Amino acid sequence: MTTHERLVEDLYRRRPRSRFVRLSAAALVVLAIGAWFVGDFPVADLLSNASGEHLSDFAERVVPQPVRGRAFDGGVVLAWAGDLMRTKGWTAAGRTFAISLAAILLAALAGLVLCLPAARTFATPEPFLPGASAPGRLTRLAWTVVRVGVRTFLVFLRSIPEDVWAFLLFGILGANAWPAVLALALHNAGILGKLGAEVVENLPPAPLRALRGLGARRTQVAAAGVFPAALPRFLLYFFYRWETCVREATVLGMLGILSLGTWITDARHRLHYDELVFWILVGAAIVLVGDLLSTILRGAVRRAS
Amino acid sequence: MAPDAVALRRPFPVGTRGLVLLGLFGAGVWALCALDLGLGQLVPGSGGLLVAQRFFGRALSPAVDWEGAFVPPGAPAFLVDALEAAWTTIVVAAAAMGLSLVLGLGLGFLASTAWWADEPARGRSGWRGLLRRFVAPALYGAVRILIGCMRSVHELLWAVLFLAAIGFNPLTAVLAIAIPFGGTLAKVFGEMVDEAPRDTARAMRAAGAAPLQVYFFGLVPRALPDMTAYAFYRFECAVRSAAIMGFFGIATLGSRIQQSFLATNYGEVWTYLYLTFLLVAVLDLWSGALRRRVVA
Repeated sequence: MTTHERLVEDLYRRRPRSRFVRLSAAALVVLAIGAWFVGDFPVADLLSNASGEHLSDFAERVVPQPVRGRAFDGGVVLAWAGDLMRTKGWTAAGRTFAISLAAILLAALAGLVLCLPAARTFATPEPFLPGASAPGRLTRLAWTVVRVGVRTFLVFLRSIPEDVWAFLLFGILGANAWPAVLALALHNAGILGKLGAEVVENLPPAPLRALRGLGARRTQVAAAGVFPAALPRFLLYFFYRWETCVREATVLGMLGILSLGTWITDARHRLHYDELVFWILVGAAIVLVGDLLSTILRGAVRRAS
Repeated sequence: MAPDAVALRRPFPVGTRGLVLLGLFGAGVWALCALDLGLGQLVPGSGGLLVAQRFFGRALSPAVDWEGAFVPPGAPAFLVDALEAAWTTIVVAAAAMGLSLVLGLGLGFLASTAWWADEPARGRSGWRGLLRRFVAPALYGAVRILIGCMRSVHELLWAVLFLAAIGFNPLTAVLAIAIPFGGTLAKVFGEMVDEAPRDTARAMRAAGAAPLQVYFFGLVPRALPDMTAYAFYRFECAVRSAAIMGFFGIATLGSRIQQSFLATNYGEVWTYLYLTFLLVAVLDLWSGALRRRVVA
């Protein structure tokens, strides 16, 4: 074997690989394919005559009402769309944005509080300065319980979908905007809390250790060291989750809280499929505007830090 | 004024970050006004209060048996039924994941620039050059727009569309989830491949590999662990979405939550909530372990 071949052989042996990653990928593929055989999916029905009739009926109704059955006229369609926007659209779009904003701000406040006791570096007997003292076994255990408890709570918050939270809260709080706002806030507090905890754990340790070494208390280290250092990353995650909130806020109105989703449900019940598709397009536009705003703001935050 | 004072003078008291924070505060105030949100509304009315008490009272004692007075004859035991709903949720989510992985990998290839943009100047003539200079960028742009459209319509809105167009069943639920998820996977997969380390690719290109060979053997394998971890995260999201699709009437956890809550069987609701939690938590731990493996 030449040196060359040995080198190649050596490189091959040192190639990055992990049995866990490969097994996981295989499991995902098996699940994804197997589900099609296990599940009772009426694939044949999709291509049947009945669904074809259904579809042609839908195609008829999807043509905007003023031009249905006659020649297409762009001006008339625009007037129709403008009218819809004036009477319902702008208010609904504004409220959709308002719901997403109120929710993400609440979620961020909750996440800021919850990320500290969920962070491994903070929720210990000696935050940021391990080995400074010899804590008793009980103190250590207590902090572990707090950390695991908060983390489990965060997983619970985010594992329940927004729409389920909204449905449950709607039954309790009645018809105002709070169920939608709180539902989004609960779910996203779980996510922001977890992401925040990771940010806190990955902060450069030196300044925090120095503060602690100078005798700062836990809360003082958090206020003077953790939050200022973590703010840029927090803001990035905040805007990233806000995008999702805007997306979710467009549909939460389906429960009867006035936002875009309300008009979608309304159009569906009246079988006005032209309006239905129009509102869905408005929803897509709202999401795109939200994405754009968030991208711009994230860029600004990244440049400032 | 002493010269030191000039040196110590601060710039404008609020920086970009401060401005963003102030802006957020203002936006929050605007949102509260636009929605007429008062703290008073947070206190449920007497009816709501009763529901709240009875609902949260059962948080720590989820049902293990049917709670309603009437149980249809021949119905399976409650826990068996609940597990069935959970299983349906997983199957719908996995089927949707399968479809969106196909969509994501296919469109993700077209939505990445690595296989045409950073090829060296050689071979700029003939149909290959034409392909690389005009067809590929045009295709890239078109696919990016398509992906944007798929992603920006929420899966529940796709569900409403399907419901109106061809009727709703488990298959249309799967399609409704798979379309936006496929778009997201395509975007993220494409970006992951584009951001993969280029060392292998450069070496392969120097050794004379064709662009597609470089792409599939030099770049994709470098991004594969990241892609696996992300796919698992999306699977977690798919499980949540599949549960939600129950609100439209397919037999996933969402439909059981809706029925039990409306029938005021709150213990049952908590059982379903904890089942959802378990499903998501397992996937969450799994994808967390994957990400740690990838980073290490």
